[in-house]
Amino acid sequence: MMRQPRPTDPAPPRITSAGVGTAPILAILLASTALGVAAFVSFEPIVPERDIVMRPIQVESDGYVSSRTCQACHPSEYDTWYGSFHRTMTQIATPDTVRADFDGVRVENTHGQPMRLERIGDEFWAEFDDPGWEGPAAERPRITRQVVMITGSHHQNIYWYATGHDRGVNILPGVYLIEERRWASRSAIVLHPPGQSLAMLNGHWNAICIACHTTLGKTAIDTPYRSEPFEQQTINTTVAEFGIACESCHGPAEAHIEANQSPVRRYGLHLAGTGDETIVQPTRLDPQRASQVCGQCHSVWEFYDGAGERLANAAGLPFRPGDDLRDTRFVAQPSVDQASPEITALMQNDPEFVRGSFWPDGMIRVSGREYNGLLDSPCFRDATEPDRTLTCFSCHTMHKAPEDPRAIAEWAATHQVTADMNGNEACLQCHEPLRADLTAHTRHAAGSAGSSCYNCHMPYTSYGLLKTVRSHTISSPTAAETAELGRPNACNLCHLDKTLGWTADRLSEWYGTPVPELSDDRRTVAASLLWMLKGDAGLRALTAQSMGWTPAQEASGTSWMTPHLGEALGDVYAAVRFIAARSLRSLPGYANLEFDFDGPEPERIDAAVGLLREWRTAPSSRARREPELLVDENGELRIDAMRRLFDERDRRPLFLRE
Amino acid sequence: MARATHTTVDHARRHLHFGWWSLLCFLILGLVLELLHAFKVGLYLDVSNATRRLMWTLAHAHGALLSLVHILYALCLRLFPSMTARDQEPISRCLLGASVLLPGGFFAGGIRFYSGDPGLGILVVPVGAALLAIAVFLVARAAASVTAATDPADSSGKH
Repeated sequence: MMRQPRPTDPAPPRITSAGVGTAPILAILLASTALGVAAFVSFEPIVPERDIVMRPIQVESDGYVSSRTCQACHPSEYDTWYGSFHRTMTQIATPDTVRADFDGVRVENTHGQPMRLERIGDEFWAEFDDPGWEGPAAERPRITRQVVMITGSHHQNIYWYATGHDRGVNILPGVYLIEERRWASRSAIVLHPPGQSLAMLNGHWNAICIACHTTLGKTAIDTPYRSEPFEQQTINTTVAEFGIACESCHGPAEAHIEANQSPVRRYGLHLAGTGDETIVQPTRLDPQRASQVCGQCHSVWEFYDGAGERLANAAGLPFRPGDDLRDTRFVAQPSVDQASPEITALMQNDPEFVRGSFWPDGMIRVSGREYNGLLDSPCFRDATEPDRTLTCFSCHTMHKAPEDPRAIAEWAATHQVTADMNGNEACLQCHEPLRADLTAHTRHAAGSAGSSCYNCHMPYTSYGLLKTVRSHTISSPTAAETAELGRPNACNLCHLDKTLGWTADRLSEWYGTPVPELSDDRRTVAASLLWMLKGDAGLRALTAQSMGWTPAQEASGTSWMTPHLGEALGDVYAAVRFIAARSLRSLPGYANLEFDFDGPEPERIDAAVGLLREWRTAPSSRARREPELLVDENGELRIDAMRRLFDERDRRPLFLRE
Repeated sequence: MARATHTTVDHARRHLHFGWWSLLCFLILGLVLELLHAFKVGLYLDVSNATRRLMWTLAHAHGALLSLVHILYALCLRLFPSMTARDQEPISRCLLGASVLLPGGFFAGGIRFYSGDPGLGILVVPVGAALLAIAVFLVARAAASVTAATDPADSSGKH
């Protein structure tokens, strides 16, 4: 029986033959059209790399498939790499990647007239004196170029502009210091002889930097770089990927991707727990080959001959992870091959080649070349068991472990050191017998900076990027390395107020280390002051940095440092001035010190003189009346002694090839 | 309207019970997953555990939706008792098997996994999917055979 509708029931909705009324359909159509128009208007087309003609481009080739392909199966590894500074070693200049202010900024002290910067929409432009001008300086023309690429994202942003000739790029004369949030002239941030201009060469990135700042970079200049005028060469530079990506360390992944389309193969490998031979896993390589994966960039190297260079120019560097690096490159190691034909040839081409990168005994003295340090480390060089051989991966990891509680940013900012490897455990994993009574070995209180393996065996004797870096040649401190080679020893880098004689006596007493013949000054003047007053610019930079190092300040006190750091504010090397100012700001009472290391010279001198005057009137200046600190019994600086030592300064021009 | 047989009623009751209890279980799982989000639990949210997150999310989604399928199927049995008369037992077994293997496989695959690959528990998921496909096919075939004579709505209209 059918139910009869009640009179009060509302009328059922009318259903048309189309199912619903036309009004809602029209509304939906109208809204969709409006959305489509809005999307079209706001759409900014992504220009394919192939269509970009003014800079190097990314092209997948030679079995390289890019990190995006790796992400799907290795999300964690991709994520930690993505957060690392390896990825951002080279980036395209975009509003997301440019850290510097470009809005109407003027950068002084660049060559010629100041550089002017401007942001136009999402583009970054710079106007500066033409670095390629060879006519009279007064007639040097201005050029305006678009900034297209960036090197670095940790300490500095170094910018590259499109030269306008093919894919050739050149470096901007100003650099942005990220931590300091300021621009500086490029000549001020590189430790190089003052007065000598730093080269700005068209195509330098394409030919040189590309090797270690990209993945499979191909210079692709039709004739050897600088063999003829840049404008007459054809430049078609490509890279597999900007920055140091997955395939830099694991090798080209195309075959790996293809093989592992099969789930049967993947699960077979998972269950067997064996490595996949279609890809290189550096940590599974033998210690030598494993470290060479890092050494392909973190070393001082050169091609064996022009043929090797031409091959790399056309097809990219031939080294692939797992190869023997020495097959295709000469890794300079002056400690053992000072007289080799390769070093001889390099020295003929560049007499300062060794001094610019190494200490006189061949130990590396610049940052970013840690593989050279490893080569000379007994823990690597003399090791006989693979499991007990020091490699880069003994302390560093390229992918933060999931169980590591640190944030990726923190891990990346601390040199990608493995969890728990930033302390003595790094050494004790092999030197187990020392664990039971560490202080008997260190002669310093447990837990103190003096009981840190790193501080004594990996002191800060390398320099780069306006800071010091730990030596990666594992060594024991001696007074002889300072007396005979001029290299700071670990003891006096912390005990800045002690003489070298004091160090020699302690090391002899504790470890039986031979005491070298020492001059009177080395017996009577604090080693750090001799370095600051007599040393070359590199030594002065290392010492100034140590004066700002907390363990050294705790061990040596700080009240006596001010005049010496103040004196360094007037150093002829801008990099020394920068570090001295930074260390001064770490001293009590100087946190707000205003000093522009790249500013006009009169202002810098005024600042240094004012600082010294203020210090001499402060009671703290009389706190340490010790002759080793060049302060007499009345608390007055021994100016005559300082002047004498200053006159003995090593003034040989120094360019550290960081 | 055809009378529901004793077996049909039993099947309907079985799937109604299973569906609601299963829905409760997977809603609780969903609640747990939300709590893992709320407290930012790394074992679920870290990128290194992206595979686990995906697997458990799939387990929750499949489990909850399959629960609704059970309830729907039970209602269909009551509405159209003769619809699946011939295949009720295999349909029932397939649906129950799929409801255990699909979400269970996803969940187990997320407990222990290999970077971007789920754990071995994932191997039962295709089996569950096949059982579900069989069940849906059998139901669809039976639904196609529903005629006006067996349609309760039509029947009620005629009387």
